[in-house]
Amino acid sequence: MSLIVTLILADFTTPERIGVTPSSMLWLLPLALSVAVVYKATKVREVRTVNFIKESVVLFASIVVFMFITAAALLGIAWLVT
Amino acid sequence: MPTRSKENHFVLLLTVGLAGWLIPGGGHFILKERARAIIIFAVIVVTFAMGLYIGSIGVVNPVAGKLAYTAQIMNSPAVAVIGHITKQGEYSVFGKPNEIGQIYTSITGLLNLLCIVNAVYLAHLKETEHARA
Repeated sequence: MSLIVTLILADFTTPERIGVTPSSMLWLLPLALSVAVVYKATKVREVRTVNFIKESVVLFASIVVFMFITAAALLGIAWLVT
Repeated sequence: MPTRSKENHFVLLLTVGLAGWLIPGGGHFILKERARAIIIFAVIVVTFAMGLYIGSIGVVNPVAGKLAYTAQIMNSPAVAVIGHITKQGEYSVFGKPNEIGQIYTSITGLLNLLCIVNAVYLAHLKETEHARA
C-alpha cells in the first residue's frame, strides 16, 4: 500500500514530457471543460442533471469554437505580416 | 437592520467566504447548496491535481512564480504548504510542462475565487430575503 502511495506521490514531483507541438494545444480542452462546468455551477438557478450537462456542453463548445476562430484569425494575420 | 443583526450578517458572509477558500465548494455547502458544492469541489480539485501532475509540484513557486502563486493561493491555504516545500527550488520545472501546469493551477485558483464571491453573494441574498420575510 505504501509503495503505491509513494509511486503516486512521485508522479507529482517529476514533470510530464510535453513538447512544443501543435498537439500540445489539446491540453486546453480539459481546462475549458473545467471552466465551463464551474462557471455553470455558479450560474444555473437549479442544478438538474440533464439541464446542467446541456448548458455546460454548450458553454464548452462555445469556448472551443471561439478559441479556434481566434487562433485562425491570428494565424491569418501572421501569414499576412510575414 | 439593527446593529446586532448586521454583525451576524457580516459574520455569516465571512464564514461562507472562508469556508469556500479552505475547501473549494465549502461556502456553497454551508448554504445547503450541496450539488453545487460537490461539483465545484470535484472539478477544482481534479483540475488542480492535473496541473500538478503535468508540471510537478514545482509549478507552485512563491519565489520564482509570484504572479501565478497569487492566483494559485486562491485554491486553498493548502497551496501555501506546497509553496513552502518548493520555495527552495528543488523541484524546478521549465518549458511547456511548467507553462501548462501553471495555467491549470492558476485558472483553478481564479475559478475558486469566482465560487467564493458567488457563495458570499448567495449568502447575502438569502439573509436579506430572510430579513424581509
